[in-house]
Amino acid sequence: MASVEFKGIVKKFNDNTVLNGVDVDIKDHEFVVIVGPSGCGKTTLLRMLAGLEDVTGGDILIDGLRVNELHPSKRQIAMVFQDYALYPHMTVEQNMSFALRLRKTDKAEIDARVEEAATILQLKSFLARMPKQLSGGQRQRVAIGRAIVRKPKVFLFDEPLSNLDAKLREEMRVEIAKLYQRLNATIIYVTHDQVEAMTLAGRIVIMNKGIVQQVGSPIEVYRKPANLFVAGFIGSPTMNFMHGKLSLEGDKVMFTSPDIKLSIPPYLLPANKVRDGQEVAVGVRPDDVVVGREAGEKCSDKIEGVLEVCELLGHRENLYIKVGGQRLLATVEAFFDRSPGSGVQLCFNYKNMHVFDKATENRISE
Amino acid sequence: MEILKSIQEVVWFILLISLGVGALEGYFYYHFQYYDRKWFFPAALAVMPALALAVFGQLLGGYTFQLWVYFLLAEAAIAAAFRYLVQGRHTVPYLLLAPAFVGLALLLVYPFVFEIYLSFHDLKLTTIMMWKNTGRLPFVGIDQYIKVFTTSPLSEVSFWALLGRTLLWTFTNVFFHVAGGFALALLLNNNIRWKGVYRTLLVIPWAMPQVVAVLAMRGEFHSQNGFVNIVLTKLTEAMPFLTQLGIGPVQWLSDYPLVTCTLINIWLGIPFMMVVILGGLQSISSSYYDAADIDGASYLQKLRFITVPLIRPVMMPAVTLGTVWTFNNINVIYLVTGQSGGTEQADILVSALYKAAFTYNRYSYSAAFAIVVFALLFFISVTYLHGFDAAKEDR
Repeated sequence: MASVEFKGIVKKFNDNTVLNGVDVDIKDHEFVVIVGPSGCGKTTLLRMLAGLEDVTGGDILIDGLRVNELHPSKRQIAMVFQDYALYPHMTVEQNMSFALRLRKTDKAEIDARVEEAATILQLKSFLARMPKQLSGGQRQRVAIGRAIVRKPKVFLFDEPLSNLDAKLREEMRVEIAKLYQRLNATIIYVTHDQVEAMTLAGRIVIMNKGIVQQVGSPIEVYRKPANLFVAGFIGSPTMNFMHGKLSLEGDKVMFTSPDIKLSIPPYLLPANKVRDGQEVAVGVRPDDVVVGREAGEKCSDKIEGVLEVCELLGHRENLYIKVGGQRLLATVEAFFDRSPGSGVQLCFNYKNMHVFDKATENRISE
Repeated sequence: MEILKSIQEVVWFILLISLGVGALEGYFYYHFQYYDRKWFFPAALAVMPALALAVFGQLLGGYTFQLWVYFLLAEAAIAAAFRYLVQGRHTVPYLLLAPAFVGLALLLVYPFVFEIYLSFHDLKLTTIMMWKNTGRLPFVGIDQYIKVFTTSPLSEVSFWALLGRTLLWTFTNVFFHVAGGFALALLLNNNIRWKGVYRTLLVIPWAMPQVVAVLAMRGEFHSQNGFVNIVLTKLTEAMPFLTQLGIGPVQWLSDYPLVTCTLINIWLGIPFMMVVILGGLQSISSSYYDAADIDGASYLQKLRFITVPLIRPVMMPAVTLGTVWTFNNINVIYLVTGQSGGTEQADILVSALYKAAFTYNRYSYSAAFAIVVFALLFFISVTYLHGFDAAKEDR
């Protein structure tokens, strides 16, 4: 197993800059998920590590060894592709053993490794089948099996679950988590699905527009998003944002938007960090919006709104509340017994509020 | 005023065709629509054979009672089929299909049936007048088929020699078509400059009318003024040692006619294979190559384990077609060698067949010969298609 380092990686397709100075350190045995919207360069980064794309600038190191010009097969990596890329004219067994056969590995050794991988992935009864005779989930497992038999230093997963339906995706997610515990390997996993990122990752790398936005454990990026992009990308449903200005009233920090006025507690944002009139965005996750009688009892800054729509999810309920021109989403325990159109009181859970500077988009609250 | 006359002729022709199609549609419409009326049979039997007799009797040159009985029986059979089998179902699709269907029947089925008829009789220069006068031909059973295998269709070459030559010709041509097409397709599948230009240039031999292409190439093989011999002469002048290796200008058309034909036909056939294979190559997902790169396959290994197996399903029908076309290729051989005083050294089965029919006037013999060739090709195609199905199973 091995560590991976990206040092100032730049990638250009002609004049089009896809990656602009990516620095990430991945430790041995780590499960790192690279997540971002489509077109953010995450797959390109993975393909560069695999050796399928040239490096325009910067260095890629595997186990301290610079691999920029090394042929993909020499990098001791294995990759699981989004469309699986199983050779359609070979059986499952031939697919899994292809790399070993090319390397002229001993026949007994090949059989042993294929057997081992097939046992781990419960593929033993499918070894003689063709890929087209398998279901999506089975193909996915074969693609993973093909990676396992090579005993690589690093596993690369390129959006492996995006071609599966929702239920199967959940199952495979658990399978991959179990596999990681079992193999204890270095895994780099690319996805655009933040749920996969949150559930699988030891560390998350969030990318946008070819730049790394934040690197951290799932709970870090959820609790303390570094900037507006991360705050909006991580978490489902999406965080509520209110745009307005900060003002200093004595040693109290006040936030004012056209529709909402509230005080920001000093443990969240001390007055000395604030300019008077600073333009900011305040973010609150739907779970931290307190609505109804609870809001009336607990909070000092109450906000009056009108309930627009209720969405019942089962044990939770999404409430879309209009405060002037601002729409806020609150997720509360079911059942919230009010009909759309009625007025509701709400307030925010201050501890989990986030304040971002409007100009730099960076987090300024604690 | 010549042009006006031509236009008039064309207009008449179009009118005639439309009338024919109209009559055809009317005929079928009647059978589809009124099959369950009481007067369906009587009306059909009274009108249709008489009409047919009026039209076809004119064409065939006589209104005999016998002919009328034939038409009556045919109409009775057709009307019964429409009444008890078709029963007015699928009227619109069949009405739309009818013109094409009847056209195909006239152009394919009738000649084929007539050919089978001919092959069991004896039509040749000495019996043709008898046929014209009496409409009868001596029945000879399978004599013609025996003759196909025992006598020469030309003056000296036997059927078996021709068959061997044809198989060799077909194999050589198809082999080089596929090899050349594959090589060019691989080159064109790369990201190279002027790709479109190259592709267009390479497809030209295919897009040109074959007669023009073949005659132009035939000129290039002329012993004195042809491009090939000029190049060979210059080469031997520049590098005299080549002469010792036996390389030098040769009399292509008279000494090596089959080689010349083969070279020309290879040149003609490569573009088609190239286009088909290029299409196949472009349909292979690049992720297979990515996976193979990571698995450590070299360029040749990728070619062998990925490219070739994955274009096989596209190749099989193309190779089948190519085989049939080459096997049946009379254009190249006839145009290169077949003019007056031509040689027999380059003849393959179909060109010999052509000569047997239209130079030696052995019509019945040629009919039997053609059916033998047809059977051969049928067998080859079926074998290929089985292979194609097997290849499809693999994917």
